[in-house]
Amino acid sequence: MEHIGVRETVKFLGLTFNWETLCMTWLAMAIVIIVSCLAVRSLKLVPSGWQNFIEMIVVWLHEQLEAMMGKKRGMQFAPFIVSLFLFLLTCNLLGLIPFLESPTNDLNTTLGLALLVVALVHFFGLYFKGGHYIAHFFQPVAPFVIINMIEEIAKPITLAFRLFGNILAGEILIIVLLHLTENPFWLSLPSVAWLGFSIFISCVHAVIFTMLSMAYLSNAVKEE
Amino acid sequence: MIEINATMIAQVVNFLILVAILRALAYEPVAKMLKQRSDKIQNSLDQAAADRKAAEQTLAQYKNQLAEANRKAQEIVDRAELTARQERDALVAETKREIERMKQNAQAEIQNERNRAFEEMKSEIVTLSLQAAEKIVAKNLSAKENDKLVNDFISGLNSNMFNAK
Repeated sequence: MEHIGVRETVKFLGLTFNWETLCMTWLAMAIVIIVSCLAVRSLKLVPSGWQNFIEMIVVWLHEQLEAMMGKKRGMQFAPFIVSLFLFLLTCNLLGLIPFLESPTNDLNTTLGLALLVVALVHFFGLYFKGGHYIAHFFQPVAPFVIINMIEEIAKPITLAFRLFGNILAGEILIIVLLHLTENPFWLSLPSVAWLGFSIFISCVHAVIFTMLSMAYLSNAVKEE
Repeated sequence: MIEINATMIAQVVNFLILVAILRALAYEPVAKMLKQRSDKIQNSLDQAAADRKAAEQTLAQYKNQLAEANRKAQEIVDRAELTARQERDALVAETKREIERMKQNAQAEIQNERNRAFEEMKSEIVTLSLQAAEKIVAKNLSAKENDKLVNDFISGLNSNMFNAK
């Protein structure tokens, strides 16, 4: 178990990269792109097979975006949100396959995505609302800017650590359960149960990250 | 165990590349297909609503035509009945007039006959009077007998006249 959390790193242009995380991310990206391309390869008016799956996700996220941001602005963010959900779902589930690990069990991935979301929130907040966006940090009274700043800083941290912690903990527990006993029966039962629960947790945390990203974006950009 | 390094930036870049690829390869076609389906369903619903409206209009038109036909048929029947009644009334009035005319003619004819009979009777009386006068003159009766003869004749004449009437 001593290898948990120890990451193989590579140096490139003087920068350090977690090689395994990058490889797993590329694998996850490849899976998402291949599945999506297979699903939309022959789109029909009456859907079947993978088209149903991809349409179900797109329609569900469209509805959420429309409810949170309004139709026009919601649809502008739809490609980003759909990609985010599919990517996180694939990343979370990847770690449940033996010999693979989730890119999201690396804080670099989750914090990177969380910071990207928060950066987009502030960028589009300023773009769509201008001075009003700055002013809302000073409401209801000016001293509240401190609390609002803490909230804004907390957003990416909570977003990143929630996903990272859950996925890493899930994968650690899988390894721990495999080392509990030598008996094959008592070995398989909790592992299988935990694997099933991990699948559920993976889906739930992909949803939570996506929904919170949508909520943060909608606060900043929703149509008045 | 937890180390923030350049992987974070690489992951952001990776994700943005994924967004660009997915948007071009998968999202746009799916969104387009969803829009097409939505439009098709909307068109079908609109078409169905339009067809229903047209059907209702046609039904209303047929009902109006049927009601109009019934009204016209009733009108024709009423007119025919009225004409028949008028003709019957005219015929009855004509018949009454004819009867009245015939009655008047008959009365006039009776009157004429009566007048003619009276005239004939008068001439008969004159003739008989002349004959009686002739007899009186021929017998040369006394004044007493003459009066008796005249009275007898007259009384006989009255009784004959009333009997004849």
